[in-house]
Amino acid sequence: MTTAPTVEQLAPTRTAKVLKASLKHIITFGLIIFVWEILGRTGQLNRLILPWPSLIGAQLLDLFFISGKIYFHFFTTLAEAVIGFFIGVSIGISLAVGAAFSPRFRRYIAPYAVVFNVTPGIAVAPMIIAWFGFGWSSKIALAALVCFFPPFVNTLTALMRTDEDATDLFRSLGASKREYFWKLQLPNAIPLIFAGLKLALTGALLGTIVAEFFSASAGVGILMQRFAFALQIDGSFATLLTMSAMGLMLFTLMEVLDYRLVFWKRDSRMDSVSKKRAARWRSRHGAIEVS
Amino acid sequence: MSDSALESVTPTPQPSFGGDVVIEANALTKAFSEEVIALQGASFQIKKGSFISLVGPSGCGKSTLLRLAAGLIDRTSGSIRVHGEEVNEPRTDIGMMFQKPTLLEWRTAVENVLLPNEIKGTIDDAARRRAIEALHLVGLKEFEFHFPRQLSGGMQQRVALARLLQTGADILLLDEPFGALDEFTRERLNIELMRIVDDTPTTSLFVTHNIAEAIFLADEVMVMTPRPGKLARIVDVPFERPRSLELQLTPEFNAIESEVRDLLGSYV
Repeated sequence: MTTAPTVEQLAPTRTAKVLKASLKHIITFGLIIFVWEILGRTGQLNRLILPWPSLIGAQLLDLFFISGKIYFHFFTTLAEAVIGFFIGVSIGISLAVGAAFSPRFRRYIAPYAVVFNVTPGIAVAPMIIAWFGFGWSSKIALAALVCFFPPFVNTLTALMRTDEDATDLFRSLGASKREYFWKLQLPNAIPLIFAGLKLALTGALLGTIVAEFFSASAGVGILMQRFAFALQIDGSFATLLTMSAMGLMLFTLMEVLDYRLVFWKRDSRMDSVSKKRAARWRSRHGAIEVS
Repeated sequence: MSDSALESVTPTPQPSFGGDVVIEANALTKAFSEEVIALQGASFQIKKGSFISLVGPSGCGKSTLLRLAAGLIDRTSGSIRVHGEEVNEPRTDIGMMFQKPTLLEWRTAVENVLLPNEIKGTIDDAARRRAIEALHLVGLKEFEFHFPRQLSGGMQQRVALARLLQTGADILLLDEPFGALDEFTRERLNIELMRIVDDTPTTSLFVTHNIAEAIFLADEVMVMTPRPGKLARIVDVPFERPRSLELQLTPEFNAIESEVRDLLGSYV
């Protein structure tokens, strides 16, 4: 076909640029996989130590499509981690709000918070098992424990870091404590709270999986352990990749939420939100003349 | 009046509730600690509808004076009265403006302007209409639904000005409101501010570092000196209103300018 080139074909579009940039990564990644596979097939690698990509791929295929046994473990771990996340985050944020409001409460919990932070949460896993047993509750408890701190400290820091002039403004407008919190302190803190939530998510996953190592009948942690103990390292790798996928999935969800909610920190979002607000105003208060 | 011991220690001039005195300070002192005396023994009266500039170098207690008048901080001794009442808590009939725009980033311009109504529970269509009008008045037609980050520094400060007008306060406390802006924007905003307050019966206290700006806007210039912050003199600015920028080129203006400069003397 000999049609005249369109403008898009002449000028590199954004998608073309993105494609070009990701191409480098795809080539690099492909190269690594290729060399790895070759090394494996030529007998340079011990499959009990470092299985090569095709072996791992075969395990993934089996887990997801042939036996399909990953789903049960995947969703068990996901549910435990997500529930633990919500519990840990709720406790963390509630304590932070309490501490932000009451200087006395803040002084009382400050030393505990410091000790809590420097103590590796994972280390209490055996105690958690002893308290909560071998079922799902111990996984949720450890997940909540491990992910509690980042939202707590971020929320407290953010709430305490309210602009002084804005505080004066609210005081001189006669704002109540409640208005001050909901209209100034909280929205002001949201970006930092979200940063804490992202850290908590990783923590929740970590806590769940470690608890599963100790004792479980379901979950990707136990699956990983079974493979490793059976020296099926290719299966372990496949499980590890599944865990990465789970983490990535949850993290992406948070990113999307963050992007949508904290629009005012993102230049690319503000235009569209601004237009939406204008449209909302016109539909609600159309009678009021706006330029 | 009895001549008790207390009164003889702190000679308090009789407060004159002359009908049109809005803010009155007597021996007003604020010390943050034994060493740090932000303001010492300031006495003055501000008449209704007047525009007062406060000039002085950094650390002379200008902002402290404003915050005392607004009731945002407590005085150490002396008295400060607004509309004849001792100021003991934040006064909601006072509007404040700061060097930073202090806008809520997650609200559009008009939502920021409506904040005072929201907090005072007076939000209705009339308030909304006034908010839009206030934005038009400060020159922000077509920017009603922009977020602060989509606006320049000068425009953000205009939103803050519109919000100040929206409070309906009859006393405006302006703490170097245009101090962070470039010279041109600052000059334009000064003129617009003057046009707006000339049209309304508001009383304004305007803090600035800039002597020419202080004189140009004001009916009286309160000159302050630092360490400890003291009110050195109140200089009368007798020029008629409305004023134009050319006023700054007249010999009379220059005479007042050098008088203020002399008062500030070694401090500037």
